[in-house]
Amino acid sequence: MNALVGRDAVLLGFLAALGGVVTLGFGLRRHQDHLLRQARTYAWLILGAAVLAVAMMERALLTYDFSLTYVADNGGRQVPVIFTISTLWGALAGSILLWTLILAGYTAAVVLKFRRRAVDPLVAWATLVMYSVCAFFFALMLFSGANPFTKVPGTPPANGPGPNPLLQDHPLMIIHPPMLYLGYVGFTVPFAFAVAALVTGRLGEGWLIETRRWTLLAWGFLTVGIVLGAWWSYEVLGWGGFWAWDPVENAAFLPWLCGTAFIHSVMVQERRGMLRVWNLSLVLATFCLTILGTFLTRSGVIDSVHAFTESDVGPWILTFFVIVLAVSIGLIGWRGDRLRSPGAIDSPFSREGAFLANNLLFAAFAFVVLLGTVFPLLIEAINGQQITIGGPYFNTMTEPIVLCLLFLMAIAPALPWRKASGELMRKRLLFPAWTAGLTVVACVAFGLRGGVDTLACFGLGAFAAAAAVRQLVLATRRSLADGAGPWRGIVGRANGGMIVHIGVVIIAVAFAASQAYGHRTEIPMRAGQSAKVSGHTITFLGIHTEQHSNRTSLVADVRIDGGKVYTPQISDYPADPGGGIGTPSVRSTPVDDVYLTIASPPQTPADPTVIGVTVQPLIIWLWIGGGFMAFGTLLAMLPGRRRRPVLPASAPAHEEAPVRPRRLPAGASAAVETP
Amino acid sequence: MAAEGLSARDWGTADRPTRTRRRHTALYSAVAMALVLGAFVGVLATRKSALDKQARSPLLGEQAPDIIGDSITNGAPFSLMSLRGRYVLVNFFASWCEPCQEEQPQLVAFDHEPSGRTAVVGVLFSDTPGPAKAFLAANGGDWPVLADPEGQLALNYGVRGPPESYLVNPNGVVLAKFIGGVSDAGLDRLVAEAQQGGGQ
Repeated sequence: MNALVGRDAVLLGFLAALGGVVTLGFGLRRHQDHLLRQARTYAWLILGAAVLAVAMMERALLTYDFSLTYVADNGGRQVPVIFTISTLWGALAGSILLWTLILAGYTAAVVLKFRRRAVDPLVAWATLVMYSVCAFFFALMLFSGANPFTKVPGTPPANGPGPNPLLQDHPLMIIHPPMLYLGYVGFTVPFAFAVAALVTGRLGEGWLIETRRWTLLAWGFLTVGIVLGAWWSYEVLGWGGFWAWDPVENAAFLPWLCGTAFIHSVMVQERRGMLRVWNLSLVLATFCLTILGTFLTRSGVIDSVHAFTESDVGPWILTFFVIVLAVSIGLIGWRGDRLRSPGAIDSPFSREGAFLANNLLFAAFAFVVLLGTVFPLLIEAINGQQITIGGPYFNTMTEPIVLCLLFLMAIAPALPWRKASGELMRKRLLFPAWTAGLTVVACVAFGLRGGVDTLACFGLGAFAAAAAVRQLVLATRRSLADGAGPWRGIVGRANGGMIVHIGVVIIAVAFAASQAYGHRTEIPMRAGQSAKVSGHTITFLGIHTEQHSNRTSLVADVRIDGGKVYTPQISDYPADPGGGIGTPSVRSTPVDDVYLTIASPPQTPADPTVIGVTVQPLIIWLWIGGGFMAFGTLLAMLPGRRRRPVLPASAPAHEEAPVRPRRLPAGASAAVETP
Repeated sequence: MAAEGLSARDWGTADRPTRTRRRHTALYSAVAMALVLGAFVGVLATRKSALDKQARSPLLGEQAPDIIGDSITNGAPFSLMSLRGRYVLVNFFASWCEPCQEEQPQLVAFDHEPSGRTAVVGVLFSDTPGPAKAFLAANGGDWPVLADPEGQLALNYGVRGPPESYLVNPNGVVLAKFIGGVSDAGLDRLVAEAQQGGGQ
């Protein structure tokens, strides 16, 4: 019954998506408005079908319906209920089902938001693109090996192995994948509007204003998803690190880089009407990168710790990637030259100049990461040699880019639009520069070892953070002077953006500190023995066995600094003959993390237990920085302070008639420090 | 909408009347991107799955080192020589190795080819017969498996970590080395190629 209803739901979703595409296509071609209005209904059908399919899969998982291959392969009675629910995104077919549900949700949200403008060709085209993407994902489930509702041939088994053991012992696994997918899939919305803008030739900034919040939403989710993924990897995998430049991590990071470039450069277009083709290209590229990332990680062409086992979805996703690429490049080639905007950047020392530099850096960043990810494939295609590209390449190549970005983050908020004067910059950068200088002096004075690059990261981080704080203080002061509440100083794109910047600085500093000052060691210990590691006293109390419903765990009791007892473990999942799964135990403080693992258990009771101890400073600030970024993104999505009427370009857009930005009167913005 | 109807071109012309010839930067960039990305997609499309990725090995084209010993499954004496005339996959595995578990069904499929010209031999890598028997019982596989407690066979073949596999042709010559899992379909393709090439 689960399989039958589920499969029918997928079929219904596919037909509804196709129906929507055809109806909108006819309506647009024949200019029949009633068809365009009618096509809205399909969004609800698609959403209903996706919800039903997911509900059926969850029902099958929770009722242990092992007649479904997916449940037989990934479910298990011994698995705690919460992880049975999250098994939906524990393997390939289920994760595509989740992807489809989120896509259907976004599609319905777009249709709902623009319901009164369904006859507007821009909206109709955007909806058509969204329906097409939905149709693809339903088709993927119907016709490829990723069908979640195939049945087990013959008698269904009595029990299953449960999901991969790594996916069933940490709560982060429950929220990290949905967050990541909400981000990934969310970029479909700006993509759809960008395609619609290109097709209809509606060149104004209208489509940008429509999609600004959607893009921020997707970007915010993607940020949270990536940070949670790093956290999960740190808490679960037991190697003491949080970011390994693994292809799957890169697959999420690439669209993030591209999307970050876009949310910055889009401001240049809104204010000055420039960089239109570039912005469209960034939106299209972001979506292309999400599909490419999906292909690289799901098709098995690249070896990765996260890669799903082989299935035939590869050619399907590659075909879709080719279609998306062809549409994107074709549209830019066809329309691009007509969209080119007038105007040029007056001076490189201006806000728009800084945004341009930001974009070049992010493009370089994305290129470096993409190259590192696919380089082994390219080399193999050229001369058949097999190479691996790891952390050293990525760290070496991205470090200067990150430092430059931190520098830009510091000076860009202080730069006015159009052209900066030396005196203005001196005034605005005085406080940030002092902060940076004092930070470096303090670091040196306190004898912080580590390379020049670490010191540069701290100094530039302080520079950027101080610049952001200065902006926030000024904005709050201004809003108080205007009689608005102090909270007005942190809401809106510019102010929320500054909070995101602070989050980025926190992450950059924590990353640099953990890389430069981390220390890892392995100590063979017997019960009662103590050892000193980086100023911490580690006392090994003993080792014992614990029995759980889904696993048997060997637990070491370790006291840190005479305080609480921490329990790194190695667990055996009987359903999984792959062997023991180590689980670290971490003591986090704002200063440093002590990360304990069982490096090797005693072979006989007389043997010592080898405890792995990693001490890294500031780790907890990585996750706090992520929180800042999420919070700032949220604030940036709220409507900000009303702009002064002297700036027509930034007047709030009306739902029905987006304001076409005009070139600013010369010097209008230099005097006003609203970004 | 009416406001939107005013295109950038009109706008641009109004702004800069001197620019009469339209530039084609976007078109040219798009064409260049299309060429680069077309080649990239071509590379992606022709990549074999990582599962069937063949590795280099000094053994390729050489006689496979012999494997002699008692099978842990039934205690019967075994020699690789006895499988001449068949395509043999020598599979180094361990019960604690997760990819080995994933690849096991593919090995079972290859062992049971209807042609009857294929066979699988397992060699334990850093593992003992006890867990290995449980592994085989759970994941299938009724072919000869040798223990290799000293790691001598792994040394002879140059194995670094499980799973690694070697495809040996009917004359005992090593055709291919695989690091990581193999797939039945990929092996069949290789066998078919070898049969055509060797006229067998």
